[in-house]
Amino acid sequence: MIRNLLLVCALLFVSSLSIYSLSSGDSRADFAYVNPSGIHTLDPVRMSWTPDFRIALNIWEGLTTSDPVTTEPIDGAALFPPDVSSDRLTYKFTIRDDARWSNGDSVVAADFVRGWRRGLEPGTAGDYQFLFTDHLAGAREYLTWRRAGVAELTSLSRIRDGWTLTPDQARALARCPTFSQIHATADSIPEPPAQDAADLAWQRFADKLDGLSIDWNACYEAAFAAHISEMDQRFTKVGVRASGKRELTVRLARPCPYFLDITAFPTLLPCHESIERLRERYRKAPITAEGLVVYDPQWTKPDYRRNGYPGLISNGPYRLADWRFKRRARLGVNRFHRTADAIACRTVDMVVYDNVSAAIMAYEAGDLDFLPTMDVPYDHEIARLAQSGARPDFHLCQTFATYFLSFNCVSATVGGKPNPFIDPRVRRAFSLAVDKAKIVNNVLKRGDRVARSFVPAGTIAGYEPPIGLRRDVPEARRLLAEAGYEDGRGLPPIELLYVTADERICQALARMWERDLGVRVELRSKESKTFAEDKANHRYMIARGNWYGDYHDPTTFLDCLITGNGNNDSGYSGAAYDVLMSRASTAADPTERAELLQGAERILVEEDCPILPILHYAQPIAIKPYVKGLHANARLRFPFCYVSIER
Amino acid sequence: MTTLLVRRLLLGAMTIGCIYTITFTMVITIPGNPFQQSQRNMPPEAEQALRVRYSMDNDWLYFWEFLDGAIHLDFGPTFTYSDWTCNQIIAEALPVSILIGLLAILIAVMIGVPVGVLAAVKRGGWFDFASLAFVLLGISLPTFVAGTALLIVFGVYLPITPVGGWGTLAHLPLPAITLSLPFTAYIARLTRVGMLDVLGSEFVRAALAKGLSPRTVVWKHAFKVAFLPVLSYLGPATAQAMTGSFVVEKVFGVPGLGQHFVNAALNLDPGLIMATVLVYSTLLVLFNTVIDLLYAWLDPRITGAL
Repeated sequence: MIRNLLLVCALLFVSSLSIYSLSSGDSRADFAYVNPSGIHTLDPVRMSWTPDFRIALNIWEGLTTSDPVTTEPIDGAALFPPDVSSDRLTYKFTIRDDARWSNGDSVVAADFVRGWRRGLEPGTAGDYQFLFTDHLAGAREYLTWRRAGVAELTSLSRIRDGWTLTPDQARALARCPTFSQIHATADSIPEPPAQDAADLAWQRFADKLDGLSIDWNACYEAAFAAHISEMDQRFTKVGVRASGKRELTVRLARPCPYFLDITAFPTLLPCHESIERLRERYRKAPITAEGLVVYDPQWTKPDYRRNGYPGLISNGPYRLADWRFKRRARLGVNRFHRTADAIACRTVDMVVYDNVSAAIMAYEAGDLDFLPTMDVPYDHEIARLAQSGARPDFHLCQTFATYFLSFNCVSATVGGKPNPFIDPRVRRAFSLAVDKAKIVNNVLKRGDRVARSFVPAGTIAGYEPPIGLRRDVPEARRLLAEAGYEDGRGLPPIELLYVTADERICQALARMWERDLGVRVELRSKESKTFAEDKANHRYMIARGNWYGDYHDPTTFLDCLITGNGNNDSGYSGAAYDVLMSRASTAADPTERAELLQGAERILVEEDCPILPILHYAQPIAIKPYVKGLHANARLRFPFCYVSIER
Repeated sequence: MTTLLVRRLLLGAMTIGCIYTITFTMVITIPGNPFQQSQRNMPPEAEQALRVRYSMDNDWLYFWEFLDGAIHLDFGPTFTYSDWTCNQIIAEALPVSILIGLLAILIAVMIGVPVGVLAAVKRGGWFDFASLAFVLLGISLPTFVAGTALLIVFGVYLPITPVGGWGTLAHLPLPAITLSLPFTAYIARLTRVGMLDVLGSEFVRAALAKGLSPRTVVWKHAFKVAFLPVLSYLGPATAQAMTGSFVVEKVFGVPGLGQHFVNAALNLDPGLIMATVLVYSTLLVLFNTVIDLLYAWLDPRITGAL
C-alpha cells in the first residue's frame, strides 16, 4: 500500500515537473534563427554583443536606420536627412509624425533625450558611453562632474553607515568640497596623504577616520542635496535637447562626418517614458543614495508588471512578444509601426542553441531558416563548402573586424624580464617576419582576408588604408641586429599571450619567429577573463587582440591607439600619431581628413608598429534558399522587416 | 529519530555555511573584472560605479548582503544576464535539471536492474557477455560522444525526435537516455554482483530444493537482498544526475542549471556562481540527509552510528 502510494507520488511529481518546465509547443514562427549564447541584455545602453544589437535594432528604431544591403544610414524615426548647420556641429532632427511606440503613443523628441541620457549617466551607462562623451558637446564635462559626485556620495554614505573606506574611497573623500569644509573647521581630522600616495597610506588614513566623532550624516545630507539640485541644470549643457515636441537638436563637440551612422547604433535608441516608473529613488530624488541612476533591470521584459509598468514598449518594426530565458525570444510585428502592413514575416523566433553544431543540425532538419554564425571547430570545411559553391546557402561575410597582435610598448619589464618591444625596431622586425598569407590560407583556411592595415580595406567609401608592411625576413633580421639583437641573441624568451581558442594561429606565429628571427617564443594561453585583465594591465609582451568596427569611419579603429585611450592595450603613445588624429578630428574637408587618417594609420602599421594586423575575419552564415531579403554584410546587421519567405 | 533529524539538519546548515564562505572567498579573490562583458575595456570609474551599485566595493558589506538575501531565498542580480535575477534563472533551469535527472535515474533502474539480474542468472552465457560489453561502453563512453551519436541517428538520419532544444515531450527522451547511460551501466553491474552473491547463498538453495520455481526464487527471494546495494547507490546517483547534467545540456541544448553553473564560473559572475553553488550544495546535503534518515528507518541499529 505504502509502496503504491510512493509510486503514485513520484509519478505525480515527475508529471507536474514536466508540465511546469515544458511549455505547450507554440506553432513555429514565420522565420526562425539561432543565437547560440542567448541574449545578454536587451537594455540598449548596456549591450555590447552583436546578437543583442541585432534584436535591439529590430524592436527599436533610432533617428536613422541601416540599409539592409549597404548598411549606409537611411531614414528611421526621424525625417532623413536632418538639417545640419554650416559648421556641421548642430543637427536638427524632426521626428516623423507617424513614428509610434508599440502601445500607440507618438514617439517624441524627449524619448530620445531620455534614452541618450541613460547611455551617459553613471549607473545605467555601459561600454558605449564613449559614443556620447566623444561626440556630444558638454557630455564629457557633465560625466566628469557626475563621476566626482558619485565618488563623494559613495564615500560619505559608506562612512555614515559605519564601514571603513577603501583607499579609493578615501581618496575621493579627501578630494570633495565637503571634506575641505570639515577639515577646515575640525582640528581632530588627520591630514590626508597626497592623492598619488600608495594605497597603504590611504588605508591608514581611512582607518583613522573611523574613530572620529564627526556627524557624517549631516555631511552626507548636505552633499546629496547639493548634487541633486545641480544635476538637471548641468545636463542642459549637454548637446541633446528636445527643442519641440518632435524637434531634437543635437550639438556636437567636433564635426563628425559619420554621425548619422552613429544615430542608427543601439546605444542611441529612444526610451519610452513608462520606464520612469521603474526608477530607483532615494528620498524622492531620482538617484540612489550613492548618486547613481538606476532602473529596475527587468524593464526589458514584455510581461514585467510592477508599479504600473506595462511591460517593454518599443518603437521598431517588431515588438518583443515573448522572452524565455536562454530558450527563445519571439518577435511579433509592432502594429503601430508605419511599415507594419508591408512586413512579410509576422513572427520571428530567436532560438537559443548553446551548441552551434546542434544548431547546424537543426538548420539541416529545417527547424531554423537562418544561422548568423557557424563558429564550429570544422569552420574551414564550412568555408570550403561556401567558397566552392557546393552549398549555395552558405555565405561568407567579410566582416568589419580585424584580428591583430598588440606589442607592449610601455612596460620596461614583463614578469621580471626586460621587454624588448619598447623599441619600435623590434616591433617592426617581428611584424616583417610574419607570413600572414600562410596563416590565412594554410593554417586557418576559413576564407579570412589577409590584413595589411588595421582598418579593413575597401569597407569605407572615401578611405584607402595604407599598404602596410610586406613580409621581408632579411630586413627584419637587419632591424633586429640594429636594435642590438643580432640573430636574436640577447633577447629574452618572447611571451605570446592569447586565449585558448587561438592555439593554432599562435603556434604558427611562434614557429615563424623562431625559424626566421632565431628567437625563443613562449606560448601563454589564458582563460578569457584573466587574459583580459593581463592585457589591460600590460602584463604581456605580445597579446592577441580583435576589434569590431562600430560605425563606418576609420576612427572606430584608429581612436583605440590614441595616447590614453581606454582600449589602447599596447600602451602606445605616438606624438606624430596623436597630432594627425587630432588634426583629422577637426578637419572639415573630407579628402583632407582621409589623408590625415591615412597618414596616421601608416605610422601605426608601417613605422611604429604598436600593433600587427593579421587578418580580417570572414564569418560564415547560412540562409535557406527560400529566404529573400537577407544580405550578407560586413557589419552583420540583419533587419528582419525586409525578409520574406518564398517557398 | 527526532534528535537525529535535528542533528543532521544543523550539520547540513553548517556545511552550507562553510561552502558559502569558501565560495565567497574564491569569488572575490579570483583575478578578472566581473563587470567586463565584452572586448572593450571598462573605464575604472564605470567599474567603480557598478561595484558600488552592487555593494561590491566593500567585501564584508557584500558578504552579509548576499547572505541576508540568500537566507530569504533572494540571490540578487547576475551580471552576465543583467535583465534577469538569479532567482528567475534558477526557477527556469532547476526544474529542467531535476526532471532530466529523475527521468535518467528512472530509466537507469528500469533497464539496469533487469539486465543485471538476467546477467547473473545466465552467468557465463552470451547475455552476460553482451551486458558486460554494454556496461563497459556505458561507463567509458563520454556522454558528449553518446549524445551526439544519438542526436545524429534519431534527430538527423531518422528524424524521429527534434534536434535538441526544449519545449515538448519529444525533447525529453534523448537527453534522459544519454544521461542515464553511465548510471544504467553501474546499476546493472551492482545488481549482477549482488545477485551472484545471493544466488550462491544457502537460503536460495533451500528455496530451490523446496521446489519453488527458479523465477520465484530469483525475483521474490534473491532479488530483495541483492537490491540493497543498488538502493544505497541510488541516493548519491540521483543527486549526481540532477546536478551533473552539464554536458548533456550542452549537447542537446537543454536549458538546465548545469550550464549556468559552469558558465557563471567562466564569466566570473559572482551572484550566479554563489547562487548555483548554494542550490547544488543544498540539494546534495538534503539528499544525503534523506538517505541517512531512510537508513535509520530501515535499520534502527545504525541510528547511533550516524
